[in-house]
Amino acid sequence: MLAALTMAGGASVMAQGLLGGQVTGNIQLDGQISRRDTVIGSEDVPQKLLSNARADILYTNGNFSAGLRYEGYLGPMLGFRPDYEGQGIANYFVSYKTQNFAVTAGHFYEQFGNGMTLRAYEDRYLGIDNALRGIDVMYRPFRGIILKGVIGQQRYFWESRGLVRGVDAEVSLNELVAAWNEGKTRVTLGGSFVSKYEDNSEVILADVSGFKLNLPRNVATSAVRLDLAHGGFGLQAEYAHKSQDPNDLNDYIYREGDVLWLSASYSKKGLSANIQAKRVDNMGFRSVRTEAYKEMLYINYTPAISKQHTYAFLSMYPYATQSMGEMGVQGDFMYKFKKETLLGGKYGTDIHLNASLIKGLDTTRIGGRGTDGYTSTFFGTGDTYYGDVSVEVSKKLSSKVKFAATYGYVVFNPIIEGHAGDIHHNHVVVGDLTWKINKKNSIRFEAEWMGSDSKYDAAVDDKRCGDWIMGLVEYNFTSAWFVSVSDQYAYKDGVGNYYNVSMGYTKGATRLQVGYGKQREGIICIGGVCRNVPASNGLTFSLTTSF
Amino acid sequence: MKRIILSIAAMMCITLGMAQNAKMPDNINLKSLDGKTVQSSVIQNYGGVVILSFWATWCKPCNTELDAIKEVYEDWQEETGVKLVAISIDDSRSAARVKPWVDGKDWPYEVYLDQNKDLARAMNVGADVPYTFIINAEGEIVWQHKGYQPGSEEELFEQVKAALK
Repeated sequence: MLAALTMAGGASVMAQGLLGGQVTGNIQLDGQISRRDTVIGSEDVPQKLLSNARADILYTNGNFSAGLRYEGYLGPMLGFRPDYEGQGIANYFVSYKTQNFAVTAGHFYEQFGNGMTLRAYEDRYLGIDNALRGIDVMYRPFRGIILKGVIGQQRYFWESRGLVRGVDAEVSLNELVAAWNEGKTRVTLGGSFVSKYEDNSEVILADVSGFKLNLPRNVATSAVRLDLAHGGFGLQAEYAHKSQDPNDLNDYIYREGDVLWLSASYSKKGLSANIQAKRVDNMGFRSVRTEAYKEMLYINYTPAISKQHTYAFLSMYPYATQSMGEMGVQGDFMYKFKKETLLGGKYGTDIHLNASLIKGLDTTRIGGRGTDGYTSTFFGTGDTYYGDVSVEVSKKLSSKVKFAATYGYVVFNPIIEGHAGDIHHNHVVVGDLTWKINKKNSIRFEAEWMGSDSKYDAAVDDKRCGDWIMGLVEYNFTSAWFVSVSDQYAYKDGVGNYYNVSMGYTKGATRLQVGYGKQREGIICIGGVCRNVPASNGLTFSLTTSF
Repeated sequence: MKRIILSIAAMMCITLGMAQNAKMPDNINLKSLDGKTVQSSVIQNYGGVVILSFWATWCKPCNTELDAIKEVYEDWQEETGVKLVAISIDDSRSAARVKPWVDGKDWPYEVYLDQNKDLARAMNVGADVPYTFIINAEGEIVWQHKGYQPGSEEELFEQVKAALK
């Protein structure tokens, strides 16, 4: 805290003292006055007003920069852990960056490869920030080779925990070998090694023998990756492995973990295809083995391979990787029918197909705590976790009217959210029409329907069950204001009626948005901006600006 | 605690005075679509104006904006010589889909990946996209805008023309 204060004072003196530098920043203030609603699951709020605030201030002078961030959770907003309560300087750093050398001391965000060994990142709307506090170094000894090293502790609300050390190397063969500089085939190779240290004084007993487990103090992950491109073809792959890591996520088993991720694509003007496949087995890697909050203290990240849908009913079941084990495939196809063709019409037509299927692993249990836990076959699969198919056709009907129609089929197994129940099968249809009235005014209509075989059951309390309809009208005027009205209503086998009225004003980098109504948690895109929001009932407001 | 708030308030006051035409950072590492690591200094239009647009594959308004600009891009270029550079903030869940996406959309833009959001952070983009900047020939940020509403591109083009003067 003292260090942060000195830092705040120091940075403010620097900003005044070092001429020639520049100070920039951004401020965000979100608030809500929420009322209890048992139907949609919004909570009672004793403080009446909840707010999250933050201000990032950045000082830059040539290659040198320094920054600090104020965060205040005076009654953290719904969806945020109560541990955030409080205010202060949550993040500070100094950094020096050139093309061949960069060093950051303080808080930093970093990622090795696809993040399977290390990803320090934040998602401010989800209340996730696992920034490392320590030192981050990048060095480029020659063109084509980039080395990175990090050491630090992870942010945990208002503290830092654990100890993470890591190195990463990336070699671009085309840049390294002069003769291949202009080659049509491009090859980049990489490798990373990350280790965490943790004291092992806690007592955790094995299931059967009752002996105290001998917990490893150091746990390592390592990964190799490849990025290959030739003309329109691309292939990316990464394999990561984790040493013995008994922890709360895997219930203290000693099985080693691994993940294999593949992505192949082909594209040319107006056409693209991409296929991804992934197998994850026991790859949850966190700084503190006993941590109970499931989203906190992750050192690594295993990307989910399903599409991130943005229409409300298609994104009702957002999928997150099951780091304990899953296997999945995903395919994506885009095609543009050209102008002045049969299917293209006057303005052309875009079609986008997507499908994914994610299943559990085929495992055989061999014991509980203190054993290897289970065995699995590489190609065997277990329960279906998630699957979806979607087709989107978008078309400009005239110079003023644009229309998009989407059909989606989603299969979701509630077991991935930790509760039993039947698998949900949902059909979703969406129509989305934008009419540009003139240069400064436009109106957008969105209608959605979801038919599901799931039925609401108070014992499970899944608010997404049942058949739903939704309508949304959004009016944008003078390019600065918008007003939107929407309603989601469960007309069969479900509960809930989510009505919402929002309006907003944008001027340059400043944006104010005020909403009233009932909000389902999930990704919301209105007034031209997308964000993730928790369930709420009442008034919400958000002010953001940059300078 | 008061001291923190006071010092932040003080900094903001200084800032508001100083914030005119901040320079775009030139020392941030990005990835090109063919896998090369490049510095943000590659983003330039040799004496012309650059539109810098932060976007993501999963962001509908971003895609609508980039599609809408595509329709008028040739005219814009002819009239002003402007160049649009699109910075994807897709993370590793969708980053591998960015190149096929850009080809499939047939976008004529220069595109870079900012997976770790280093450039987005250095330019105070915050968490919401789309976010658009206009950079003048001197590398100064002369205009910025959050969000996209149908028709916003008209104002963007007015600002591009103003940045030429």
